[in-house]
Amino acid sequence: MGKIQRKQKQPGIWKSLGRYVRDLWDAVVHGDLWVKASLVICGAGYVGRKQYVKGLLVTGLEVLVLLYTFLFAPAYVSKFSTLGTVKQEAIFNIVTMKNEFNDYDNSFLILLLSLVSFVIWFSFLLFYLYNVKAVYRLQLKKERGEHINSLKEDWKSLFNENFHITLLFLPILGIVIFTIVPLLVMILVAFTNYDQQHMPPTNLFTWVGLANFKALFTSGGLTISFGYAFTKILVWTLVWALFATITTYLGGILLSILINSKYTRKPKLWRLLFIITIAVPQFVSLLLVRSFFANNGIANTFCANIGLTELLRTWGLIRTSYIPFLSAPGWAHVMIILINIWIGVPYQMLIATGVLMNIPGEQLESAQIDGANRRQIFWHITMPYMLFVTGPTLITDFVKNINNFNVIYLLTGAYVTTDQAMANSQGKETDLLVTWLFTLTQDYYNYKMASTIGIVVFILCAVFTLLAFNRLIKGDREEMFQ
Amino acid sequence: MMKQMSQSNQNHKNTQQMNQQASVKEHTNQQASVKEQMSMKKKIHVILHNLLLAALAAFWLIPIVWLVVTSFSAYTGMNTSTFFPKEWSIANYKNLLYSSDTVAQFPNWFKNTFMIAIIVCIISSCFVLMVAYATSCMRFRMRKPLMNMAVILNLFPGMLSMIAVYFILKTLNLTNNHLGLILVYSASSGLGYLIAKGFLDTVPVSLREAAYLDGATEHQIFWKVVMPMSRPIIVYTIISSFMAPWMDFVFAKIVLNSGVSSQWTVAIGLYNMLDKSLINTYFTQFCAGGVLVSIPISILFYIMQKFYVEGITGGAVKG
Repeated sequence: MGKIQRKQKQPGIWKSLGRYVRDLWDAVVHGDLWVKASLVICGAGYVGRKQYVKGLLVTGLEVLVLLYTFLFAPAYVSKFSTLGTVKQEAIFNIVTMKNEFNDYDNSFLILLLSLVSFVIWFSFLLFYLYNVKAVYRLQLKKERGEHINSLKEDWKSLFNENFHITLLFLPILGIVIFTIVPLLVMILVAFTNYDQQHMPPTNLFTWVGLANFKALFTSGGLTISFGYAFTKILVWTLVWALFATITTYLGGILLSILINSKYTRKPKLWRLLFIITIAVPQFVSLLLVRSFFANNGIANTFCANIGLTELLRTWGLIRTSYIPFLSAPGWAHVMIILINIWIGVPYQMLIATGVLMNIPGEQLESAQIDGANRRQIFWHITMPYMLFVTGPTLITDFVKNINNFNVIYLLTGAYVTTDQAMANSQGKETDLLVTWLFTLTQDYYNYKMASTIGIVVFILCAVFTLLAFNRLIKGDREEMFQ
Repeated sequence: MMKQMSQSNQNHKNTQQMNQQASVKEHTNQQASVKEQMSMKKKIHVILHNLLLAALAAFWLIPIVWLVVTSFSAYTGMNTSTFFPKEWSIANYKNLLYSSDTVAQFPNWFKNTFMIAIIVCIISSCFVLMVAYATSCMRFRMRKPLMNMAVILNLFPGMLSMIAVYFILKTLNLTNNHLGLILVYSASSGLGYLIAKGFLDTVPVSLREAAYLDGATEHQIFWKVVMPMSRPIIVYTIISSFMAPWMDFVFAKIVLNSGVSSQWTVAIGLYNMLDKSLINTYFTQFCAGGVLVSIPISILFYIMQKFYVEGITGGAVKG
């Protein structure tokens, strides 16, 4: 039953594409003179149905796009295949007695503005096709003698049946400019040699195909190879995400059960105490913890005073006069996960509390009457219910942890790697892929590798999200509950 | 009643429940002392529970306590020998608030962050609620594709697009400019609509239908039916978008990179204080700044988390 309904609701992508093309074909073939004219002058169809202002607006838009296409875009798009050939050079100008720059190419601007042009053209193409169909629909309406909207009515519809256009226009514009275009730019950069040696405007960069991906996945050789660092950092990223997700998830559930237990007095007060730790902004709390566990920090003083440092030295676990909580591989890895428990458990506790309160009371009661003990209740009722409700968030949490920049960057800002091969690739053992990406761009201007890593992170996240795909996208049962 | 149940329980003869059965037998034999025992047992449970919680809470609060006590220390650098400062003073707060130098310009940072936060809050709250309403309450053809698109876009690490955004802002001459930072924070905020949508999904559709029948337009329904019913999620959205500029330091660090400290936000300012060369003179001031920022943020966070839980769990149950 449910399946059939879903199928009807969501026709396959090919089917809807086929219908789209067929509608378009109908419009072009069966359209009258006005519709055919609007293939050239977009507004013609509206003018023919006496929607003069709309026709004017649409034609105006077309003119703008055409002007852009012929006056502005060629300067950049024509160089898209090479990303520029003329280097910046300073030439002494005899007339002004000054050094002047030649008419040089800026590879990044070429890339960016070409991409902007592509986005504009693509959007306009969609609009153009939509327009043809809309004009044909007007024709049909007229033939059937139906009412054709005046401008005022069109305007009003933007606040009624077309309200979604009004609502979504600005947010989507923002997303296109500040997310989609930048993402596309960076995806393209992954196929260029844009790095410190090829920085515009003084230098040019160009396409290199899949060379960056090769550099990322292979190790050895004479040139700087990223393969070694990449494997290490990838493994740590996955280990980190796994442990960070599971420890905070279980910890949060246990803590919330503890707080919500009938034996607990003043549960609200306890909850507040734990909330305080996450209410403090992360850059304050994490930087503080970093200083707390610094090599000369108070935690080390304390450990030295109670003789723990000495003990560890005699066991051969450390060779320094301090415990390298956040400054040696191994130690730092464990500490990061532990500190993350500190910061993550209260969050999960909040969520778990909300979910636990929704557990049907009858289930718990009947289990108690049947004589189930608390452990049985936990494993057979509480956990399955929690997993059912928060299962998808578990996977999104995992993805979030893959991208958990703050914890790693703030905690290991002072970490210096001793592994030469790591240092060659500007990475360190405690880096996640995203923090590595950040260091590469901010400190080493290695945009090509950063973009390549970014794409890998995306693929990683996409794979894990696909696991939750059914719940996240397809199993959208929103209507059932309304 | 209790007895009957325990007897039926005994009849069950479940080996796994031997322990409980034993206690149940006791129960019937010595009914007089049972009540006392029970209350004793309960008391012990209560004490153990609360002790455990107290221990955990103490452990969780150590860094926060350290933050507060260090901020009141008379010492300027990092206090490495004792947990509590040997001498107490409020000099750090005084310095931070009244005597700004090239490194510490806390009043300026606070003002900057506040201005940015207000504007970001207005823009992104509007965006989020607009997108949430359109995707939750309206049905149009592009709805599902757009929502799928949003899922995919959210998978890209934010850092990746940030690099290109930086260059775009640079071409527009908007780096080292608060307007640029505001755009970075708010322009894409529509992508974070899911929690708000999860809430709007719970607004009964019958209410909207009734309004349609009365001839209300979608615009009127948005303002007069759905929004008044969504107070919790509005509060949540407003507070969370207001807090974003206070909590974030990465984007601020990328956009405001000129090193002119009067332009900074609180986050980068405080981060900078812990620089290797500065930590020994500014650590206690950092703590004082941390306390000052944390107080308003904590209060907002406390208000927000109630709605957060509602939104998350509501959204999760509703798919």
